[in-house]
Amino acid sequence: MGKFALSINPTIYIMNIFLRFVLITMLFFNLAHASAENLYPFTSSSQTEQFNSLTKQVRCVVCQNQTVADSNALLATDLRNKIYHMILENKSDAEIKDYLINRYGEFILLQPPFHQSTFILWLFPWLAMVLTFSWLVIRFYVNRSTKNNK
Amino acid sequence: MSRVQPFIFFLLLLALSSLAAYQILFKNTEKTEPGMVGLQLPKIELTNLFDEPPLSDQDLRGKISLLNIWASWCETCSLEIPVLLVIKELYHIPIYGIDYKDNPTQAKKWLKKYGNPYTKIGRDKDGEAAIDLGIYGTPETFIISSEGIILYHYKGMLDENVWENLLYPLIQQYTS
Repeated sequence: MGKFALSINPTIYIMNIFLRFVLITMLFFNLAHASAENLYPFTSSSQTEQFNSLTKQVRCVVCQNQTVADSNALLATDLRNKIYHMILENKSDAEIKDYLINRYGEFILLQPPFHQSTFILWLFPWLAMVLTFSWLVIRFYVNRSTKNNK
Repeated sequence: MSRVQPFIFFLLLLALSSLAAYQILFKNTEKTEPGMVGLQLPKIELTNLFDEPPLSDQDLRGKISLLNIWASWCETCSLEIPVLLVIKELYHIPIYGIDYKDNPTQAKKWLKKYGNPYTKIGRDKDGEAAIDLGIYGTPETFIISSEGIILYHYKGMLDENVWENLLYPLIQQYTS
């Protein structure tokens, strides 16, 4: 037992395990990436980028907290396929989004466009934060000047 | 002044929250917006489930009709078949079916088991027709005018209550 314990350097042992883990992880991600590319092959990298970008902007209407890129729902697959075919037809992002909005409403986009019916959605968090922060700052200075006057 | 400030900020936040609540609760911001309602039925050309001519969007012209999206793997779809059969036999409104991403053998068995209310059935093998129609799942039913305009898109199981209180009154309104 003692003879074997002396022959293993703990640091090298741990480094070895860590490197194997990193290599396996890299291999896994390469395989995952390769399989996604094989399912939706494009002739140009710009189309691949367009597809990857759009599928991350479109909501899965079944699993609504996921994008169609992530969701395994049947309809998400159909939406991915539709986006893929529209990109092959050289449709722009705007044309594809318009097509989807016409059918599913603006809710299908994870980031709805900014206009009259969505301005509260966009501005409310910022306004609430600015107001609260302003109140805290003013309170701080008022309290400080009150203490100084005393 | 220091006593008034908290109230001012509170009132401002209250005003903002009220505006947000109004938008959420009272404005028509339902998630499932009208979608294709009011628009022409998109072009449909689907292989017939049986050995008959394909289902085309042109089939739904000339008379008000229903377009029902279903599948044999859909439990809920079997529950609405009795109502669809009543619509077909008593109300004489043609019902066209789109069999969504289904196995044709299973679909035919399913129709034999539950009954076939459909005038014609097209097979949507890859889900493209479903996306064109803006469907979320199955079952869903569209009311199509005689000119091929989508009058209404109902999502979910079509039961007696939905038919008598929602869809049939809409059809009567349109035909009058």
